[in-house]
Amino acid sequence: MTISRRDFIRVGMAVGTAVSIPSILRAQTSPADSRTVRMVMYPPTVFDPIVGTDDVSQNHGLAIYDTLFALDSKFMPQPQMVGKWGVSDDKKTYTFELRDGLGWHDGGPVTAADCVASIRRWGQVASGGQLLMERARDISRKDDKTFTISLKEPLGVLIDLLAKVSVPSLFIMREKDATRPAADRVTASIGSGPFKFNEALAKPGASFTYDRNEQYVPRGELSDGLAGGKLVKVDRVTWINIADQQTAIAALQAGEVDFLSTPSADFYSVIESDPNLALQVLDKGGQDMCLRMNFLQKPFDNVKARQAMLHLIDQEAFLRVMAPDPKYAYTVTSIFGNGTPYSNDENTGWFKRGGDPERAKQLFKEAGYAGEKVVILDPTDWRAVNDASQLLAAELRKIGVNAELASSDWGGVLERQANKGPVENGGWSICITSDFDFTQGDPVTAVFLDASGEGFAGWPKNAEYEALRARWADVETLEERKALARKMQGIWWDFIGDIRLGQAVLPIARRKTLTNLIEMPRIAMWNMQKA
Amino acid sequence: MAIYILRRMISTIAVMAMVGIFVFLLLRLAPGDPATIIAGTKGTPEMIAAIREQLGLDQPLPVQFVRWALSVLGGDFGVSMFFGRPVLELISQRLEATISLSILTMAVSVTIGVSFGILAAWRAGGLVDRILTAFATLGFSVPVFVVGFFLIYFFAIRTRWLPVQGYEPIEHGIGPWLVHLILPTVTLGIPYIAFIARVARASLLEVLLEDYMRTALAKGASSYSMLFHHALKNAGVPILTVIGISFAYLIGGVVITETVFNIPGVGRLVVDAINNRDYPIIQGVLILTSGLYVLINLAVDLSYTLVDPRIRY
Repeated sequence: MTISRRDFIRVGMAVGTAVSIPSILRAQTSPADSRTVRMVMYPPTVFDPIVGTDDVSQNHGLAIYDTLFALDSKFMPQPQMVGKWGVSDDKKTYTFELRDGLGWHDGGPVTAADCVASIRRWGQVASGGQLLMERARDISRKDDKTFTISLKEPLGVLIDLLAKVSVPSLFIMREKDATRPAADRVTASIGSGPFKFNEALAKPGASFTYDRNEQYVPRGELSDGLAGGKLVKVDRVTWINIADQQTAIAALQAGEVDFLSTPSADFYSVIESDPNLALQVLDKGGQDMCLRMNFLQKPFDNVKARQAMLHLIDQEAFLRVMAPDPKYAYTVTSIFGNGTPYSNDENTGWFKRGGDPERAKQLFKEAGYAGEKVVILDPTDWRAVNDASQLLAAELRKIGVNAELASSDWGGVLERQANKGPVENGGWSICITSDFDFTQGDPVTAVFLDASGEGFAGWPKNAEYEALRARWADVETLEERKALARKMQGIWWDFIGDIRLGQAVLPIARRKTLTNLIEMPRIAMWNMQKA
Repeated sequence: MAIYILRRMISTIAVMAMVGIFVFLLLRLAPGDPATIIAGTKGTPEMIAAIREQLGLDQPLPVQFVRWALSVLGGDFGVSMFFGRPVLELISQRLEATISLSILTMAVSVTIGVSFGILAAWRAGGLVDRILTAFATLGFSVPVFVVGFFLIYFFAIRTRWLPVQGYEPIEHGIGPWLVHLILPTVTLGIPYIAFIARVARASLLEVLLEDYMRTALAKGASSYSMLFHHALKNAGVPILTVIGISFAYLIGGVVITETVFNIPGVGRLVVDAINNRDYPIIQGVLILTSGLYVLINLAVDLSYTLVDPRIRY
């Protein structure tokens, strides 16, 4: 059989057309759009950032709502919605005036009444807000743009509280939304922030779209942390939920998405070897991993048993399983974290590389430990904690502790975590969790630093420590707070309120065409640019 | 036949009711509380209690069940505890992707699977049969996610011919819709092609050894006539059965493919709902899926009459 030149060309063209059809079709569906950013993010399930205390709800809140004050890159509060503010000579009355140009996404102006209602609702649930409400004599509007907070006694941290990014932050909502009970979720995502939530394109659980709020009037200052001018340089941001990490990385490599909020450490080398991709640490403090013990039940109702745990833990071993890349993992001995101004070395003589299992064994013996079951809550869908829980169980068994893993998904862990009873009645002994390092700089709102006996899981209780913590809100200077922090830590490591397992700093992954990301613990979408 | 269909439809309702009761109880007995999840890790006991009250989870189980059953009977599957949207709206948002993937996969699987089966049976014991049998064994054995990532690597990352992930609704155009479904369809289709090919081959081989086939050959019937007029029709019942089972199984089993290719389908919806303990979504999806399963089985049963005149209802 002979093939003519004409046949050859005909076949070649047919093959070429067949091969290029998918690319042509694809080009029609995904036009190059430098004004649209696609971010792989966990999808918010609760759209009311006052009710939803997870970080995703807070990121959603940051996009569509605005705040009275915001933290700059040095974590200092700066006015955001507030134009002018002042405090009376007796430090009991604060007056706030809103800046010009603030408006809701549905067209109405932001008023002082909106702010008052929002503060009151936030005050029902946020620890900082509850403190404010305890101290407040009155919170009221003076005119459409002015409101005051009158206090029974001075509150040195008031402005810090209003600016906090610890959950839930004080997002300003419309009065009609904010007058709902705190547990009654606000479902209308209408804020006054730099982005508008695109309800029509919302696909719950799959993707959410945020459009630039063209009416937003940013402050005149340069962007600095979460403070300053919120200049939006893209038209649209889409949050896409990609459940599988490998698919998410492939989408990033193929340019289908621009940003991946939590790449798994397994893929760091893949990302680093791709010339189009970069890892970037936005939250320099990262997460402090924490081991909480149930103070109410045996064996950890005994301080000796808690001390045993402190000596058993080899932070470097735990970091190897939770944050395998040493570039992003650090030991931490201060209850105030590594990156806050209050981080210190008071009473940290217990820290020993490799831990001290023999000492731990002896201390368990001194605690009268008699083989009681020690139940470790093990969330199988949180890989880092799942691995750490298994390591902990193995370490405990090595020194003769009857450790048992209670494995379930995160939902199951949360439910069991609320049970204060003994393990025989569905309670627990140990759970591992994490919180932002920067949060540890504020004992008023940091759940780990509460030793009232009524706080976060584990319910540590120490009156002496709590008396010092209560003073925190009234101390005004940095130096005074640093001194107070040392005293608090000194007591903490005596009664062992909890145990730190290390600090994991988690980078995000992005395409190099996406630049100017804000380096803060929350994911803010203004300022970023796409080439 | 009308009475038969009516009887089967009634049984469908009974099956859906039983699934509903079972799923309702199972969810309430399983650990995990939606209120705790909504309140998040920093949620206070007071907040959790208030959310439970708001969602009606503080009511006794029988009260919750009666409320839910009455609303379902009225065609209302409730509202998602997290998203605050009607369950039927959420399901309908996701249904198109799942149905598209399932129908396309089934169409490809049946076409290729039956063809492979015929070819392998016709050339039984030969090279073609061995190759197709090897393919069927391999297709059946290799996990879906392995095939999926393999295809993504070559056709999306290396060549950039096809997208890695996502789904485009058909209203955006046939081209984008199809392009996003090619890799998922191939991935999901391979085991079904293998399964259908194996059954078609075995069924045809059995028929080809029948006396009447030898008679047809002796009478000088052509290969084409023997295969397509005599053998395939008689081998049709088992093939139709596996196609029906496969399709029903496919509807409920696309979740891995949906995850690998990030297709926002019903499978992903229900997995996320299980993680969040979003009871109304889980209940709604499972009830509707069970109904669909029964209806597909009914359709398969009815289709038997088309290939086997001896079957009457």
